[in-house]
Amino acid sequence: MKLALTRTFWFRFVAILIILVFAVVLFFIGKQHTVLIDNKTVTVGGQEIRALQLVEIQIDNKDPLELAARDRDKEDVTGQKHSVTVIYTDSNWEEYTIERTFEVPLMQEMVLLSIPTLVANPEADQSLWLENYEPPTYAVTAADREEEVIIDDLSVLLTDI
Amino acid sequence: MTLQMTKTQKLLRIMGNNMVPILFLVICAFGIPLSGYSANFLASEIVIRISRNSFLIVSLLIPILAGMGLNFGMTLGAMAGQIGLILISDWGIVGIPGIILAMIISTPISVLLGWWCGKILNMARGREMVTSYIIGFFMNGIYQLVVLYGMGAVIPVRSNALLLPRGYGIRNTVNLIGIRRALDDLLLIRLFGIPIPLATLLVITVLCLFILWFKKTKLGQDMRAVGQDMEVARAAGIKVEHTRIISIVISTVFAGYGMILYLQNIGTLNTYNSHMQIGMFSVAALLVGGASVSKANIRNVFLGVILFHLMFIISPMAGKNLIGQAQLGEYFRVFVSYGVITISLVLYEVRKKRDQHYVGLQLAADQEALQ
Repeated sequence: MKLALTRTFWFRFVAILIILVFAVVLFFIGKQHTVLIDNKTVTVGGQEIRALQLVEIQIDNKDPLELAARDRDKEDVTGQKHSVTVIYTDSNWEEYTIERTFEVPLMQEMVLLSIPTLVANPEADQSLWLENYEPPTYAVTAADREEEVIIDDLSVLLTDI
Repeated sequence: MTLQMTKTQKLLRIMGNNMVPILFLVICAFGIPLSGYSANFLASEIVIRISRNSFLIVSLLIPILAGMGLNFGMTLGAMAGQIGLILISDWGIVGIPGIILAMIISTPISVLLGWWCGKILNMARGREMVTSYIIGFFMNGIYQLVVLYGMGAVIPVRSNALLLPRGYGIRNTVNLIGIRRALDDLLLIRLFGIPIPLATLLVITVLCLFILWFKKTKLGQDMRAVGQDMEVARAAGIKVEHTRIISIVISTVFAGYGMILYLQNIGTLNTYNSHMQIGMFSVAALLVGGASVSKANIRNVFLGVILFHLMFIISPMAGKNLIGQAQLGEYFRVFVSYGVITISLVLYEVRKKRDQHYVGLQLAADQEALQ
């Protein structure tokens, strides 16, 4: 069959191309990531960085989170580029604010943001305070029991008898 | 000379033509006091049902216009929509982008299935409804094969929340938390305490406007001509088979979108059952609205959703208050869904025969007047 390169063909071709590009854009902007916000004492390059006593964190324009030492919380975000605002006070009760932006790898489900590391190195590259996080194996391993697949469309009624 | 009908005959004719909506009005009139629900609760539930189901039911209109009857093959589109939703759930795409992406994924699948279904329906001319119903069952088997054995094994699916413990196949239920009510909550207002999902209603309005516009286009007129008489349409130079296929393709694609909107409202995908139920319920709702196999419009869609789902809402509680068993209402739903389709089909045939009889009488009266 010979392909007729008519004007209609090109219109359709361009339309499909636009839709495909749009789908890719949607994938990028709609992809959800979980940012784990960690306020625990860590050791970076052999140097111990202590957790902050109390810190306020805001990811993008979401509600601020308050974390005490050894706390960990999470925030679900969509898209790759985000901002983090850290507000904390030092021992003299002087308030400091750190604002940074970071980028989450596209196919990464979870990243861990270490607040003490960020506060200790506010100008450092994001790779220092943001690392990819894989949930522990026990959390994602499926149960041993095989799940019974129900394909009867009236099963909802029958199981309740 | 026209055959005169008495007022009683006219009234009986109107009642006969609207038998199903009248029957449902009577059921609802008895059921509402029995259920004990407040007007506010019922109104908010009806608004939810309208936003949830209307898109799916509107997708049935175009095949009726093309004379192909009620497209039970809409389940094919629903399956395509579900595949789109499973994939976006695995990829972790949430919110409105997730819904649109699921629609984009479902489109080529729906087009392919619709085209294939249309081809078969062209071969089974005159028996489109039963054929599309059986195609739905057949395709359900293929869908189960793909989802139960293909996903995770051939089609990459990574999420353990979706996969069965054995490592392939999708679980019975898929949590759509990422897109749950994403469109409904986009523009949610409250009117007298009743939540109104404006964004969803806007999408439905756009579809209704599209249907109205489509009927006036060349293709829409061709479909109408094909629906009225295929041979006359063919003689007029219309590509009958092609037009019929396009009507099924459009219906299937819209059914896929409708299923996605339906499931974003529900928030849970019943992987192996949702699509089977939706075809029957959508057809039943349209028939309850006063549509027939050969004639349906947007008014029938909304009247049908309101009456049919009002019965859905009140029947469990009415059943419970009546005999102490909410389960009665559940059975009543399924019974009524199948029952209303049967009644409508029987009434359609009765009406057709009656109209033929009336035309015969008219002809006899005309000939008598000429002599």
